[in-house]
Amino acid sequence: MEQIFFYILAAVVVIATLMAITARHTVHAIIYLATSFFALAAIFYLLGAPLVAVFEVIIYAGAIMVLFLFVIMMLDTGKWEKAHGPTFAQWWPALLLGVITFGAMFALFTVKTPESLAGWSYIDARQFSLILFKRYGVAVEVISLQLLFALVGALYLGRRKKQ
Amino acid sequence: MKLYLSLILLLPLMGSAVNAVVGRYLPRRASELLACGVIWGAFVSSLFTAFAYRGAMRVDLIDWLSAFDFQAPVSLYLDPLSLVMIVMITFVCALIHTYSVAYMADEEDYVRYFALLNLFVFAMLVLVLAENLPLLYLGWEGVGFCSYGLIGFWYSDEANATAGRKAFIVTRIGDTAFGIAIVWMFKLLGTVSITALNGMGSTLPMAAITGLGLLLLIGAMGKSAQMPLMVWLPDAMAGPTPVSALIHAATMVTAGVYLLARMFPLISPSATAMAAIAVTGGVTAFYAATCAMAQRDLKRALAYSTISQIGYMMLGVGAGAVTAATFHLLVHAFFKALLFLGAGCVIAAMHHEQDMFRMGGLAKRLPLTFWPFLAGSACLAGIPLTGGFFSKDSILAAVWLKGGALYGGLCFLGLLTALLTSIYTFRMIYIVFGGEESPGKHCESAHGGCAVPRLMDGILIPLALLGIFGGLINLPSYIGAGWLGGFFATMPGGQGIEASHSLEISLQVLAGLLALTGLGIAHYRYGGDRRREVIAAGQGDATGFEAFFLNGWRFDDLYRIIFIRPFEALAVFFWQKIDEGMIDDSLDRLASVIGRSGEGLGAWTSGRVSVYIVSFAAGAALLIAYLAWTIS
Amino acid sequence: MIVPLTHVLILAGIIFLMGLSCAIAWRSNLIMILIGIEIMLNAAMLAFVGGGAYWKLVDGQVFSLVIMALTSSEVSLALSMVVYLHRRKRTVNSDEFSAMKG
Repeated sequence: MEQIFFYILAAVVVIATLMAITARHTVHAIIYLATSFFALAAIFYLLGAPLVAVFEVIIYAGAIMVLFLFVIMMLDTGKWEKAHGPTFAQWWPALLLGVITFGAMFALFTVKTPESLAGWSYIDARQFSLILFKRYGVAVEVISLQLLFALVGALYLGRRKKQ
Repeated sequence: MKLYLSLILLLPLMGSAVNAVVGRYLPRRASELLACGVIWGAFVSSLFTAFAYRGAMRVDLIDWLSAFDFQAPVSLYLDPLSLVMIVMITFVCALIHTYSVAYMADEEDYVRYFALLNLFVFAMLVLVLAENLPLLYLGWEGVGFCSYGLIGFWYSDEANATAGRKAFIVTRIGDTAFGIAIVWMFKLLGTVSITALNGMGSTLPMAAITGLGLLLLIGAMGKSAQMPLMVWLPDAMAGPTPVSALIHAATMVTAGVYLLARMFPLISPSATAMAAIAVTGGVTAFYAATCAMAQRDLKRALAYSTISQIGYMMLGVGAGAVTAATFHLLVHAFFKALLFLGAGCVIAAMHHEQDMFRMGGLAKRLPLTFWPFLAGSACLAGIPLTGGFFSKDSILAAVWLKGGALYGGLCFLGLLTALLTSIYTFRMIYIVFGGEESPGKHCESAHGGCAVPRLMDGILIPLALLGIFGGLINLPSYIGAGWLGGFFATMPGGQGIEASHSLEISLQVLAGLLALTGLGIAHYRYGGDRRREVIAAGQGDATGFEAFFLNGWRFDDLYRIIFIRPFEALAVFFWQKIDEGMIDDSLDRLASVIGRSGEGLGAWTSGRVSVYIVSFAAGAALLIAYLAWTIS
Repeated sequence: MIVPLTHVLILAGIIFLMGLSCAIAWRSNLIMILIGIEIMLNAAMLAFVGGGAYWKLVDGQVFSLVIMALTSSEVSLALSMVVYLHRRKRTVNSDEFSAMKG
């Protein structure tokens, strides 16, 4: 049962991402992307990572994509009807390199097919936070510092100069 | 004997070395005394050697070159030929050194002069006394080098340096042939010792002997200024006059004849080589005589006359008469040195004016120079009963006796040349010494007058006596036994010619008549009043035949066209096309290719993010693909 | 695990492929580049979570959380730079900013 859900959600993710990268208007792309992130969050939950799923929706689809939207709307990038997406001359390196990379990765993934373990496991919040703050405590502190840097940098870069 | 020979060699060498190293710090008289003293000492040693001479001998001094079976020690060979040569060389050189003291009295750089002069004497004595060919070659090259240094003595004038260089390069051609001959002889016979080589000549095939003879002939041609390598000698008159007297009259130019006489037993079996030598000598004698008749420069006329007389000596060797050739060599050394030194007196008195047509009236002004000069000229022209007469005649007799059409023709050519010799000799006398005072030079108003230093005049006297009475060395058989002929008879190849008395007398009468005829012709053309007309006519440039003879049959121009211009064109080609075009430019082009490829690669940093993104992705794809490839 | 790990990884690969194509194809538009980067990072997160689920470890999830945190700081800085650049030249065409040429 969960298997079917997984494949349906996987299809949603792929199609949504595909629409996102071929959209002409950036805002359309962001919306499609948000859709794909929702489906991805559901996949996370199916893989037994509810906390990551929640964070995906709140932080990624909620904060980061909204930030993108703010910035896009703030910048005046011209009429989207008149904009044209990338031509084939721009697409072919992307396709070529993407296919090569994917082909190599596929070869690596299928070298040994590991047997799948039956059953559905689930790691809840308590387990997660215990490991996070006990084993990776230093990482948490460092990340919070890094967020501080980013905050300061973003504030500085975005300030308005006094005329 | 060993002591005397060592002294003969070491004294000039020591004089040269001391003068070269410390000569500048010695007082002038000391340096000159040293230079002259060592040569007089060598002369005394050679006299002692002559008195102590008992027969041909070989003296080994020290080891020099030795590798496997190539042996060339410093060993000297004393036989009649080398004995008379060293006596003549040391005597004439000693006289010329003494003369130079007075001639170069105004010269600042006398130390270099005397050092080179001493070194020259050393090299010449080594050449004459050498027992093996490498040692002879050492002397050969040594005289060539000293000649170069002395011709270009006043090198600050570029023409003199060029003349020295020309002499060196032209003789080098001959030296190369000589070197090839030495190596070939070593390869054929396994030895370079002259005595051994002369003994082994019969074991060689005729072609080899002819080849060796021709190579030695080319070597002799270069050193003795025979055709076609004679172009350097007239230009070599750029050096000081004592140098011309020493090197280019008495000693160095006779080295070629000496070489051929030395190797005579080896090369004489080849009739071709002998004929080649004789033809070279005969043709050169004729050529130089014609050129001498048109010269205006006193020293150049004497240079051409030297070439002509050495042609006679070669002719003698080619006819198989080593004795006659050596006789003429000895007497020629005396009278030619006399003529050059006399010319030096005249030139010094005329304040270094060398054009004959500007001289005149010197018979009354410089009597002490005139009479010896006249004596020398008589010897040169072959006036009967002078030394020159007997020596030239013995050569002509030997040529006639050889028989055959070629030698008969050469004898006729030799007689014709004798006539021309007499003409140009007395032309010289009449123009330089005859007539009244030439209007161009007023001796009274000039500084110091027209005087010749006493010493210079004094040296002329012994040479004049030797020239005139030199015939006594080898009187023809109808008068008395020839001393030189008898002395040489002990040498291989030195046998004198046996001619019937009547043949000798008739030939001598003929030669004497020719000489006197020449005197008459010269008197007719240049004596008395005709002299003034000739001088007036000669004020302009020479034209036609006279220009042809004046420029030495234009051989310099011929060589320029055949050799020098193609060589220069080739040099320019190699310089511009290959050295600059290929070698330099290839490096430049390599550098620019590298530069351009660098610029091309540098265009990758376009500053645009889009380019960087694609490069990034391509690199990542490459890495992952490689990883997949190695793992699977 | 409900599906074989290989399938999860293939899905992550496809998502990564699409993100890479977006970044390369839209390489002249700064914002689309950033979007492509976001997609690629998501694919990485999926791979981590799948691996953690396969081996029954928490560390996979912890690291995807780390990725998320870092992504957010990176995006904020990148977008503020885009704003800054837009103020300079009134365009988001990345080819306009080639002052670092050579």
